[in-house]
Amino acid sequence: MEEVIRIRNLTKTYGKKRGVSEVSFEVKKGEIFGFLGPNGAGKSTTIRSMLGFLRYQAGEIRVLGMDAGKDHERILERVGYMPSEALFYPSMKVSEVIRYAADVRGKDCAAEAEKLCDRLRVDTEKKIRELSLGNRKKVSIVCAMQHRPELFIFDEPTGGLDPLVQNTFFELIREYVKEGATCLLSTHILPEVRKYCDRAAIMKEGRLIRTDTVENLIHTTAKCVNLTADSRTESYLYSGDVNDLIRELSGKRLENLTIEDPSLEDIFLHFYESGKEGV
Amino acid sequence: MSAIFKQELKLNLRSILIWTLTVGGLGFICILMYTSMEGEVMEMADSFSRMGAFSDAFGMSTLSIATIAGFFATEVGTVHGLGSAMFAAFFASAMLSKEEDGHTGEFLYSLPVARWKAVAAKGIAILTGLILFTLVCGAFYVLGFVCLGEEIPGEEMARFLLGMLLMNAEIASISFLVSAASAKTRMGLALGISLIIYVYDIMGRVLPSMKDWLFLGPFSVANASEIFAKMEAPKYSIPVAVCVTLAAAAGAFLVYTRKDLAS
Repeated sequence: MEEVIRIRNLTKTYGKKRGVSEVSFEVKKGEIFGFLGPNGAGKSTTIRSMLGFLRYQAGEIRVLGMDAGKDHERILERVGYMPSEALFYPSMKVSEVIRYAADVRGKDCAAEAEKLCDRLRVDTEKKIRELSLGNRKKVSIVCAMQHRPELFIFDEPTGGLDPLVQNTFFELIREYVKEGATCLLSTHILPEVRKYCDRAAIMKEGRLIRTDTVENLIHTTAKCVNLTADSRTESYLYSGDVNDLIRELSGKRLENLTIEDPSLEDIFLHFYESGKEGV
Repeated sequence: MSAIFKQELKLNLRSILIWTLTVGGLGFICILMYTSMEGEVMEMADSFSRMGAFSDAFGMSTLSIATIAGFFATEVGTVHGLGSAMFAAFFASAMLSKEEDGHTGEFLYSLPVARWKAVAAKGIAILTGLILFTLVCGAFYVLGFVCLGEEIPGEEMARFLLGMLLMNAEIASISFLVSAASAKTRMGLALGISLIIYVYDIMGRVLPSMKDWLFLGPFSVANASEIFAKMEAPKYSIPVAVCVTLAAAAGAFLVYTRKDLAS
């Protein structure tokens, strides 16, 4: 399948501060790719490097077949990006911001913008300074989608959006993806990844620790073990031989025991607590 | 690129208008005050012209403030010089850094526009704002002369306004460089630089030892007293102003297109 994003050994530091190190992954055409990690894991640094906001020290980023370091203007013509901070010029009206974004692109996006504003219930007559975070996010969604890009990049898109709008937002993504678009969804909200994404990458402290299909991440050979023994409750992921696990458990006075497939949340927490690079 | 240029002019229209009406209006009022002060000014003119370095600094040793040209050069020359320098610094110092300071950079630069094009559009917007400011202020001053029924010194007025425009472009260019290098808007720093440059010019005219270095300051190309006394600007002052303006603008391009944008 055609690779829409291909990142190889991306390294970016901010002076002595850590940015990202040796990050490699690819996003294939037509997929919704989850980019997971808590705040500060390096997700935004990776995205900002892809879009030409940051100059990275090493590695290669190709977006839509073009070099992110050299062709970022041509890349951005075909990308719809929604930053985590939806901030615009406060004195402008919503309609002016949306039109300005279309004007800079040199496109007439009026029909698509109207459709999006209608579905997301955006009040285009309000001034930006009058908008709540959620409403600014809606404007940001319209600006990212109105030109019908081939690739969507969303950085923490749903913070501040009410559940109904979140639902509409993901419906829109699915519709565009059905028509051939690709989506990179950076988030720390695991249910979003589980529900909407085909594959996901997990970032930790500037490094990519796992990339796989969401299905594989959830249905790993690892099992989530929850037990209560000697009045103590424990919960952990176990990925070794089941017979060894049974032998180990038989030495305890068990009060309660469940062994089940782990949720994405369990796997994610496991990576963060244990520092393991694979389950 | 044209969309960014138009956007910048639109966003800054109110501040351009306020500064223009304030400086131009003050100049206009100063000109109108000439007739009511004419008698008193005549009495003061002689003593003002014999105040040594102070007279030199404000041009009263080269022109008599008892004449409308002398009055315009000393009074309006100072008001316009200081006012326009502060406007240029104010206008240019936020032009690039406001995108990072206000966190709007991620929106702007997620649109398909190369950074150098954004810098160019914003630079042209500054120049356009300065030209508008100069033209409207010039119209105010001409109107002042017309209201008094005085002959308009066309050539000197044009030289004065063009000199001021060049001086403003130089200060704006330096402020633009400050704006490119900083993720925060350094308006205080830019205004401070414009005031230091003004003080440098005053000192250059007061202190004999500094006279030879006057040409380095932007104000040296637009000294109203020299212009209305039909004197030449200090040697090399115009080439230096042009070179500094171009170098600072080029510096802004280089710095801004190479830096990491703050989120």
